[in-house]
Amino acid sequence: MNIEVGQELPELVKHPTTRQLVQYAGAQGDFYEIHYDQAYAQSVALPGVILHGLLKAAFLGQLVTDWLGDRGTLKTFEVSYRGIDRPGHPYRCRGRVTRVDGDEVELEVWGEDDSGKRTTVGAATVQLGA
Amino acid sequence: MSATTSVIDRLRARIGLEGPPITAPVEAGHVRRFVEAIGDPNPRWNKEAPPTFLVALAPVSLHLAEAEGYGKGWLNGGNQFEYFAPVVIGDRITATGRVADVYEKPGSTGNLLFIIFETEYVNQRGEQVARLKGTAIRR
Repeated sequence: MNIEVGQELPELVKHPTTRQLVQYAGAQGDFYEIHYDQAYAQSVALPGVILHGLLKAAFLGQLVTDWLGDRGTLKTFEVSYRGIDRPGHPYRCRGRVTRVDGDEVELEVWGEDDSGKRTTVGAATVQLGA
Repeated sequence: MSATTSVIDRLRARIGLEGPPITAPVEAGHVRRFVEAIGDPNPRWNKEAPPTFLVALAPVSLHLAEAEGYGKGWLNGGNQFEYFAPVVIGDRITATGRVADVYEKPGSTGNLLFIIFETEYVNQRGEQVARLKGTAIRR
């Protein structure tokens, strides 16, 4: 399959739950209470527990590696968290090719909440054939 | 106001501070629990670590107690990974973190404090495998 500018990555929809946040907290070793303790989250002016930024990064990483397969290697991957996301709401991961320069491909990636707001935006660079 | 200023001054004095290197093995069971937690069934992760796994090997920030004097809580502003070599199960990775920058910036609901942490990851052969830059925000 040819890779061309403008090409969209097959979207990945995640359905995070509070259980998954606890599972992720354990796997990463990040036990900040805003990810599993409702009362604590509300005490720091959040609407309730929220997804770890790095869990959203992992979702977007999967979007890229699923699309890339064994065609190349991930060289850079960056994400910026623009809004909070809560468990119980679908999280849509999307992306598209923004630049192709020989074997180097740049992607724009983002995660949307269920209202279509881009709560995470990012970019990745892959090296094809490496 | 003056309390906030002194918190920032004390934190800015920490720019360049390096944490102790932390060495951790990339264990099959840990990678499996991590990919189960993120819900990524790619069989490639039976041998290799997925892109964000390095954050599970060592803390991605240094503990700066004085930062807690600013605002109510932490938010993650963003993460930037650079990859230089693959990380595979069986590797032993040494992570060294440092405080790269500290600054205050106005946000939509008041000022925010930004702390930039940088972590370098080196494998058992002394090869740099990755670098991570993270933006921690106090709000």
